[in-house]
Order: sequence, then structure tokens, then C-alpha cells
Amino acid sequence: MINVILIVDDSPVSRKMLKSCIPKDQGYLFHEAGDGLAGLEMYKKTQPDVTFMDLTMPVMDGATALGEIKKYDRHALVIVVTADVQVKSIEKVVELGAFLVVKKPPSKENIQDALSKAEEKLR
Amino acid sequence: MDNISQISEEERDILQEIMNIAFGKAAADLAEIINIFVVLSIPDIKIVMAEDLPGYIKEEFSEFGNISIVEQNFWGEFKGSALLIFPADSGKELISLLGDNDEPSYEPQSSDILESETLMEVGNILIGACVGKVAELLKDVVTYSPPRVIIEDHPSVSMPKTLFDPSNAAIILKTVFCFNERNVNGFLFLITSNNSVSWLKKALVDFMEQYE
Repeated sequence: MINVILIVDDSPVSRKMLKSCIPKDQGYLFHEAGDGLAGLEMYKKTQPDVTFMDLTMPVMDGATALGEIKKYDRHALVIVVTADVQVKSIEKVVELGAFLVVKKPPSKENIQDALSKAEEKLR
Repeated sequence: MDNISQISEEERDILQEIMNIAFGKAAADLAEIINIFVVLSIPDIKIVMAEDLPGYIKEEFSEFGNISIVEQNFWGEFKGSALLIFPADSGKELISLLGDNDEPSYEPQSSDILESETLMEVGNILIGACVGKVAELLKDVVTYSPPRVIIEDHPSVSMPKTLFDPSNAAIILKTVFCFNERNVNGFLFLITSNNSVSWLKKALVDFMEQYE
């Protein structure tokens, strides 16, 4: 069951867009981070059930953060939300262990679909 | 009245995110056509006076000798100029990506033409996809001037007076990208004129409404 969600994105607007696509009536607890390194630290601190991860970020990019998170917790469910929809970028994050890749801008439909799949995986 | 100075921090963030999405689309389109991986950067937004634009561009590229510029103007509610700028000789690197390496070598003159055409092709794809995506997200339709390649000894750009009143400000959206396999860096500038700002501010609010 999903209780805690971590959103890692350097853009506050992007975090707001993503959060608005997640149903408000589920009582999720949200944590946010503005770069990959902060996201990694936040992951260790909050142990989220699902992490939404941007790729192009300062300090530590999302692909590196994803790899580090998977090293720390191989069961981590990380959903990459990115504008970088090049096939090679997607292949790379899938190889690193991304659970799903969602194209920006997010929509209610694709975020809720991703959460349903994560929920199923956690059962 | 200079509307640009009234652009809020949040509006800048929205514009930055839209540019990020648009450039991601442009990179994917290009990667599909020429099988190259484009490393994206975080877009940067600056506001300068239109009369200072040529000086700004010159300063940005002062460390390069010659530069190649692909320039394309666009008109819709969202209007301005797109400039794709490469250090000189990047065109030659890009030729090998677009062309057939088994082709016989070209004479010097046709090599220049080939370089110019290659830059124009890459520019057309990147600028078209990027501007098109910004326009699509903001529910606008734009038309384009044909792309033009300028190879400069000393970086300087003259902005079209029909788009940029020198006494007004302009918004610069800058993205740096790297064609990984070839170690070629390029810079894409979208420069929108003051005339677009009132519309742009409203379009940004409308865009975010779906996320309220």
C-alpha cells in the first residue's frame, strides 16, 4: 500500500504540476527534494513507497540519483518523470532500475495509472 | 509600457518548465532522425533590452572564434526569433551524422554548402520542434520564416526590427545541449518580443489552470 510519496524535481512548478495529478483523497504523505542528491538523502530519511524522479537536475542528475537509490534499496519503486524522451535516455533509466517512465508534462491519467501499477507491485 | 519587468518568479518557473519540455521533444525528434544522443541542460531565462541583444549574444560567445548561427523567426501570439548557435566547424562534425560516410569527398565549395545545409537541417528540426511544442502547450499556432544560416567571424547578431523594438525588453530562453558522440555543444535561444508578453502571461496562467 502506498503511504509515502517522494517527489524529486528542481522545478517547484513541476513538483506542483505532478502533485496536482495525484488524488488528494488517499491521504498520501508527501516529501519533496530539489535535486538528485537531496532526493537521495530524503529517500534514506523518509523511506517512501514511491519516488517520482526528474532527470535533468543540478547537483546530482536524476539518473545518478536513481542508480544510488537502487543501490541503497533494490526494491525502491522509482517512477521517472521526464521531458527527456529520447529512446537512449529511457533505455538508460530502465537499465538503472526505473519502475516506470512518464513523459512530461504529467497528466492525471498517466500519473494515476503509474500509481495503480506501483500499488499492484507493492501488494 | 514594458510588460516584461512584470513577469513574476512563478511565471519564470512555468516558462522554464515549458522550455524544458519543449527542448526534450526537440532532442527526441532529432535523435530519432539522426540516431544521436543529446545531453540536455536546465534552461535559463533572462530578460534584456532588445537593443542589448546583439551585445549579449556576442558576450556569450566571446570565447569562441567563429560561430555558426541558424536563425528562424516565428509568428503567432507567441512571436520572436530562434537562434541555434554552434562554434564554427561544428557543422562539419554534424555532416557525418546526417550524411553517408561512404560518399566521395566534396570539393571545398560544395563542402561549405553541405555544412550550411546540415546546420539548416539540424536547426530546422530543433527550432521547429521546440517552438512548436511551446506553442502547442500554450495553445497557440505559429508560422516560421525559412531558416537562415549565418557564419560569423566575429559573433554578432542583428535582431529584426519588425519583431524587436530596440526600446523594449525581450525574454531570452537559453538551452545548452551537447551531441554526446561528437562532443559538439550548441546553444538554442528563443527570444520573444515585448509584444508577446501580455498574451504569454495569460497563456501561462491558462496552462497552469489544469494543475490547480
